[in-house]
Amino acid sequence: MEAKHVYKSYGKPKVKKGEICDDAKLVVEAVRDVSLQIRKGDIKLIFGPSGSGKSTFLRCLAMLDIPDKGQIYLGDEELTKPGVDLNKARARIGFVFQHIYLFRHLTALGNVELALRKVLKLPKEEARKRALDALTDVKVGDCVNKYPSQMSGGQAQRVGIARAIVRNPDIILLDEPTSALDPELTGEVIDTLRDLAKEGTTMLIVSHEMPFAREVAEEMISFDEGRILETGPPSQFFNAPNTDRAKRFMDRIIKRTTRE
Amino acid sequence: MTLSISIISFLIGIVIGLPLAFIRVYEKEASFIVDAYEKILRGIPEIVLLLLFFFGLGPIFPFPFGTPFFVACFVLGLRSSANQSQIYRGAIRGVGDEQMIAGMSVGFSKWRAIWYIMIPQVFNLSTAGLGSEYALLIKDSAYVYVIAVADLMYSAVHLAGAPPYDRVTPYVLSAALYIALTFPIAFWLDRRGSRRKKQIGL
Repeated sequence: MEAKHVYKSYGKPKVKKGEICDDAKLVVEAVRDVSLQIRKGDIKLIFGPSGSGKSTFLRCLAMLDIPDKGQIYLGDEELTKPGVDLNKARARIGFVFQHIYLFRHLTALGNVELALRKVLKLPKEEARKRALDALTDVKVGDCVNKYPSQMSGGQAQRVGIARAIVRNPDIILLDEPTSALDPELTGEVIDTLRDLAKEGTTMLIVSHEMPFAREVAEEMISFDEGRILETGPPSQFFNAPNTDRAKRFMDRIIKRTTRE
Repeated sequence: MTLSISIISFLIGIVIGLPLAFIRVYEKEASFIVDAYEKILRGIPEIVLLLLFFFGLGPIFPFPFGTPFFVACFVLGLRSSANQSQIYRGAIRGVGDEQMIAGMSVGFSKWRAIWYIMIPQVFNLSTAGLGSEYALLIKDSAYVYVIAVADLMYSAVHLAGAPPYDRVTPYVLSAALYIALTFPIAFWLDRRGSRRKKQIGL
């Protein structure tokens, strides 16, 4: 019997960035009343138009942004409660960024090792071994001593994935991991994600890669203007979405991503 | 003496200036205080500060403010910290917020992320500014002669005022010595900085 990782959150009107437009101050509500549950072993995919709040929501889940209202749970623990040790919680969450954000001053190995040594406080040899294993798993073994500036985008993003998984987190959140990459480099990263999925990693991915979504995601969630529009298995979206907006979006995006 | 004052002041500058810079960038409430500190310390000429502390606080607290060496290091150190805070602030912005967020995504607290991820990169980006700050310190250390610290300037002035009353050579010599002190370090810092920058692609 498996322990359930109920990862539940309600994000209610979230006041995000205040943009100054002429003399009026516009407040952008990025995430409005979003609730989502993801259990251990689930692989879910979020998609939707730009600005629909997907990335903001993902960052809230990792408490990299703090929601204005609502609660976020990791297992039984409520992360939005005041006084919670967010750092410990974030150490149980793996995050992969759209623009990768590797630590520039460290090699690939250094990037992956750092958290093992300084957050989990593992001894040097064990940290090194785990880091090397993670890097070989994502197939960038030859980049181990390279600096981020010396790698291709695909390699760098895979190092980013290694950095996220090496701590054996409870869940991995990926924010458009391939959006900043060329189509050729995208493939490498997708392969890695496919491998992760096969191993049963709990993943929540924001992405536009529809072919990948169809193959790997168990459930797809569409976002629009800060709310969840529709959820369902991939077959629902690819064949007969319930909402009109989802249907139109799917048409457009399928045309775009299956052109390759 | 000149060297030791400069080095100590520089180190004081780092120890105080670096945290100040991060406070200014990352702690909104305290940043106003840091700003005031910087403006005050950079707005008053060193001579005034030196004389102020030495003759103002010296009589009240003979130890340590009666000691010329201490006052010299103290004043120059504080002033340097204000300058360095500015330098680091620019570098922090150059490194970028995303590095902080990436650090936190891995489980670091804000300050640990600063220590392990930001500071190495900030130093790397600051080498040019720090090089000139160091040169500045060596030059400005000349002021300490007004509170009778036996540094280079002091010797020069005294040599000029004593037989054979040659008022030119001592000053020319001291100028040459000052350049000798400032040039090598500034140059070396610059080179190391650009090499490392190229390596990590900043």
